[in-house]
Amino acid sequence: MKVSLLLQKQVSCPTCKTVITCTGSPGEIVKVTCPSCGLLGKVSFEPTFDALTKIVEIQHLTKTFGKFTAVDDLDLTIYKGEIYGLLGPNGSGKTTIIRMLCDLLKPTSGSTKIFGHTLPCTSNKKHIGYMPQDTAIYLDNTVHENLAFFGSIYGMTREQLEAKEQEMLKFVNLQDWRSSLVSTLSGGMKHRLSLACALIHEPSLVFLDEPTVGVDPELRAAFWGYFGSMTQKGITVIITTHYMDEADHCSRVGLLRQGRLIADGRPSDLKKRTGTTSLEGAFLFLAGRKKP
Amino acid sequence: MRLRRTLAFSRRALLQFRHDRRTLAFVLIMPLLMILIFGYTFGGDVKNVSVEIVNQDAGIQEGSSPLLPQGLHLGEMVIKNLDEQALSLHENTNVTNARQTVHDGHAWAAVIFPANFTQEFLSSISSQQGTIPAKIEIYLDASNPTISAEVIKAVTQSIQATLKEITADLNKTQVEIPITIDPSYEYGGSETRFIDYFAPGVISFAIMMVTTMITIILFVNERRNGTLQRLLVSPASESEIVVGYALAFAVIGMCQSIVVLVAAILLFNITIVGDILLALIVILLLAFGHQGLGILLSAGAKNEMQAVQFIPLIIFPSILLAGLFWPIESIPSYLQPLSYIIPLRYGIDAERSIMLRGWGIGEIWVDILVLILFALLTLSASVVLLKKKN
Repeated sequence: MKVSLLLQKQVSCPTCKTVITCTGSPGEIVKVTCPSCGLLGKVSFEPTFDALTKIVEIQHLTKTFGKFTAVDDLDLTIYKGEIYGLLGPNGSGKTTIIRMLCDLLKPTSGSTKIFGHTLPCTSNKKHIGYMPQDTAIYLDNTVHENLAFFGSIYGMTREQLEAKEQEMLKFVNLQDWRSSLVSTLSGGMKHRLSLACALIHEPSLVFLDEPTVGVDPELRAAFWGYFGSMTQKGITVIITTHYMDEADHCSRVGLLRQGRLIADGRPSDLKKRTGTTSLEGAFLFLAGRKKP
Repeated sequence: MRLRRTLAFSRRALLQFRHDRRTLAFVLIMPLLMILIFGYTFGGDVKNVSVEIVNQDAGIQEGSSPLLPQGLHLGEMVIKNLDEQALSLHENTNVTNARQTVHDGHAWAAVIFPANFTQEFLSSISSQQGTIPAKIEIYLDASNPTISAEVIKAVTQSIQATLKEITADLNKTQVEIPITIDPSYEYGGSETRFIDYFAPGVISFAIMMVTTMITIILFVNERRNGTLQRLLVSPASESEIVVGYALAFAVIGMCQSIVVLVAAILLFNITIVGDILLALIVILLLAFGHQGLGILLSAGAKNEMQAVQFIPLIIFPSILLAGLFWPIESIPSYLQPLSYIIPLRYGIDAERSIMLRGWGIGEIWVDILVLILFALLTLSASVVLLKKKN
């Protein structure tokens, strides 16, 4: 079976300078049309050894709560530099999977390897970033105090923190709020800070649990742009969402329904396979609810 | 366990207190208010009990008795010797009217000296037998036992003092009070007030309350906001979390104790005869133990509302069974063993022994040992609790 792996690359259109995000497999040359000026071009993806490094290997992972099966016999491998999207409606088991991968929940059966180490494993922890569904930052501390705290529990030194904090503040556009109490920030700002707290220690594997819920469209676009740039540094991102339209940004998605992985592949492949134009259509088709 | 990470937890928690002024005020002002309110209102001594005095005692005139040639008005003397701090006297001439005042609730007691009071007193000490002793009638509203006891105590003390004066006059005769009480003080003294006894208790109680409550609320929030999940995913270990918070509470506990101690010394001039450092160590142990208890209890509450419901569960056993206000000896004997399972009991006992008796580690090692065990038990149990996964 062919490894379905996608890389993302941002190129700017030579005529109108529009930034275009293109996806393709390692070694592949893809045709790209500029969305604003219609110019046709080709983008090549370098074959990378890294790209085939297994970061997460999940085997027969199952989690039951009493009689309820939240995750049912999940098999999945995620490679370095991917943005893997776990996609499904509420209650389909996305968060349960993330929590098991983060070692917050013990699986009922099955096993997971991260960076080649079987969970539970403490040596992995400093390379992992986690943004829970809840905002998960300290409301009675300032923006700076939150970033400094999360950085220092990952063992960052004062000097490392200072440099990285500036970068993160710029990325989430909170430079002017550094000394503000988090409780005085708007919902979107808290969300941005929460993301910054998950990334401050430069993790190489990031779990983002519904990072875009309640985030305005502009910010969502900015988040996805950043996730794309992270993968170019070789960072692997695993993200859950129930916004089907967003999942097009992922290099690969897994469609989940009632705890089962019903499909796994590139968004374009899934759409092609089901003969639909959107991932939502693909999901509904695969879930057996609707003919294409 | 890494020191740097552990201190990151303490630092963050302390910064949170700095920003959250209200909580900080609660932490520092609550014990201060307690010591102020109790110091001023709960002095332990009953004061200004309104009492009707009816003195009908005719006394004996000058020269009418060979024993006391200068005459005697015993009723007057007893009234003069009544404790004016404790009783607020109101002279009345009419017995019925005085009783009515008590009946109407305007006075707690009516103290009535009959007309032949001095006469009967003299005849009972001069003749050997068969005479009726002199009698003071006290008409009491005993619905408040503390107050009625205070009235009787005041009258009894006054009689004793009066008799002492008279026996000085009767020196030539053989009348003597056969027994005298001669108290000498091993610890404390006649000057020891209720506030001296209460201050060590209130410090311990305040530490217990604040540490337990704040820990429950902090950890309920950690769970609910998802920050705890983030910490558990991070390389920080559960013991670093617990110890980090413990250090923060140690700092807070120290600030609290110092505020209360300084206030108690400045405002009430309380006695501290023992080692302050040892007293502060006991405070730390109390804080550690109750922080662990707070983390454990936080697992039983889903939100702050539910956390608040723990307050009476913690307060009442501590107030009633730990000997905060009343000595443990005043608890019914079948309930007294319960006080052994209240950790605060050992804290209060240790603090009192240090501050009032000046005892050192040699005398209070049992208290210290129990508090150390309590802290170790709850803190390690909370590490286990945090490690537990579903």
